[in-house]
Amino acid sequence: MTALAEPRAAPLLRPALSSRGRMLPALLLLPCLAWITFFFLAPLVLMCWRSLASEGFSLEPYGVLFTSPLFTKVMITTVRTAAITTVFALLLAYPLAYALTVSGGKVRALILVFTLIPYWVDIIVRSFSWLILLGDNGMVNKALMALGIVSAPLQMLYNPFSVLLAMVQILLPLTTVTLFGAMLRIDRTLITAAKIHGASEWHAFRTVFFPLSLPGVYGAGLLVFVLALGFYVTPALLGSPRETMIAQTIMVEASQLLDWPQASAAGAVLLIITTSIAAIYNRYFSLDRLWGGSDK
Amino acid sequence: MTEFAAAAMASGAQLRLRQLTKAFGASQAVDRISLDVPAGAFVSLLGPSGSGKTTTLNLIAGFLTPDAGDILLDERSIADVPPHKRNIGMVFQSYSLFPHMTVAENVGFPLRMRTRLSRQAARQRIDEMLALVQLGHLGTRYPRQLSGGQQQRVAMARALVSHPRLLLMDEPLGALDKKLREQMQVEIKRIHRSVGTTVIYVTHDQTEALTMSDLVVVMHQARVSQVGTPRVLYEAPANLFVADFLGDSNLLTATIAHVSGDELAVEIGNGEKIRAARGTSAAAQGSRTVVLIRPEDISLTATDERTAGQDVVAGTIKDISYHGDTFKLDVALGADMLKVKVPRERGAGMERGQKVFLTWNSSVVRLLPAADRTSDASGEDAR
Repeated sequence: MTALAEPRAAPLLRPALSSRGRMLPALLLLPCLAWITFFFLAPLVLMCWRSLASEGFSLEPYGVLFTSPLFTKVMITTVRTAAITTVFALLLAYPLAYALTVSGGKVRALILVFTLIPYWVDIIVRSFSWLILLGDNGMVNKALMALGIVSAPLQMLYNPFSVLLAMVQILLPLTTVTLFGAMLRIDRTLITAAKIHGASEWHAFRTVFFPLSLPGVYGAGLLVFVLALGFYVTPALLGSPRETMIAQTIMVEASQLLDWPQASAAGAVLLIITTSIAAIYNRYFSLDRLWGGSDK
Repeated sequence: MTEFAAAAMASGAQLRLRQLTKAFGASQAVDRISLDVPAGAFVSLLGPSGSGKTTTLNLIAGFLTPDAGDILLDERSIADVPPHKRNIGMVFQSYSLFPHMTVAENVGFPLRMRTRLSRQAARQRIDEMLALVQLGHLGTRYPRQLSGGQQQRVAMARALVSHPRLLLMDEPLGALDKKLREQMQVEIKRIHRSVGTTVIYVTHDQTEALTMSDLVVVMHQARVSQVGTPRVLYEAPANLFVADFLGDSNLLTATIAHVSGDELAVEIGNGEKIRAARGTSAAAQGSRTVVLIRPEDISLTATDERTAGQDVVAGTIKDISYHGDTFKLDVALGADMLKVKVPRERGAGMERGQKVFLTWNSSVVRLLPAADRTSDASGEDAR
């Protein structure tokens, strides 16, 4: 009966349904789309355009970028700083995220609160707080001298150490939460299954939990690395000129030297690097994972 | 494979639970359960959700620590042994295959953890196991590339590969559709016969428990309600809960009218007297009881065809439903409603509102204790 009735009813109903069905999502997307277009995509296009066509079309700003020793040095510093930050953030966040995953109820809530409070504090405030802690008259040096461990204050600021320390601290909450999200999606009965089939606590972790958490580790690593590449305030406040990163260079080019094509070219290069990293990750693991989508 | 099967034969362990108790906060999940499982037996824990069957299984596996009582595997207490040292195999409801390992790696996992077999010996054991579950050709696949039924087989192979003396199965067929479930029931029985491991099988599906098990343990409210072979449970339930939980049943409250020799007569709600075998119940005249008659034991006729040894009661059809092989009818006897199951040629002419006569042999009538005493006899001591 229904099989007979269907083909006749369908042509009448379907166009009406589907045109409305198609319109509604489009309408809902419109405000967001407009916002992104005017305030994000348009400036980006403008930036790329400026880098190429300042006085007639030329690739010169890019030529300068790749031949100038200064830019190469800054780029290397940037990538190295971001990479080291990522590694340390992952090493510190993994046990924390694991503790969050295996703990329940109150303990989990407590760890989460203490992880997230620093996350809600502004990045500039957090960078400044390291100045107070690590300065010559800072709390750390005072404590060390009071205990008689050192006789003169240690030089802890304006070097790679202070920049890395602060960057890791700033990115740690995000790393932890991203890893925690990934670990929560690991089916815990798999650990139970490993144990009943002969695996000790440690073996179950090493052979089942850890391998299954790796895609989450790569995802968190990607997120942290890309964010670290664009750090500006922290290296500016806590680093010496030797720790200058790409965002600072772009700032100097644009606001002090007023060399907009050069700044745009540097910005475009940074953009290309980050999007290619994301594309490579997406190729192997699917970006959906990061926001809780299904696994590939 | 046959050599392997012979080696594993009769390797089932004897399992004893002694006054096993576990509470979660204020709620008693398992309450002083004692149970003897003979070596090599296929035993089902059957009960509604919340009856304690899964908790019991988790206690045996070692995922939970008992508050009191003991678990003996071949007369040795394993209550303090961590799960990974118990040498138990387990099949989970969701299969819980390791998604990052191939089928062969999944099956080989217990060997890697428990044995020091050479790579070649392990390889051979894995192949034997995969052959046993008829998946020999799929060793290099990943679990996500397999169907539900195939994943189920891999889970069986993994659970059995290290020749455990006890196999635990936690509603292993729950996720499969009916056809496949029936196939797998036969398959699991075949595998059980060929390896001889003792099996504890948790299910809430009574058909599954009745068709597969040597012994069924009916659980209710954290206690063992009755233990017996499927036939004993169905034909001679010890209490109302078991009678009601297994199969369709008519349970009528009644009063014992008179007792004579092996037979007695009870008076049911509409004032009619029906005869019953005396059985084991110590029935005193005038006491309250509950009468159990299975719907398929009742025959139904349009006219009164009384024969010797049979009671006949008259009733009115209130509802008829067609089930392919049978008709199911609800027949009103005064205030009571009797479920009746008749073959399709019998039921074809019946209609709602029709007056009918119900008859049965007095031997199919069972008397049960009237109070809803759903726990076993040990309920009286200790508390």
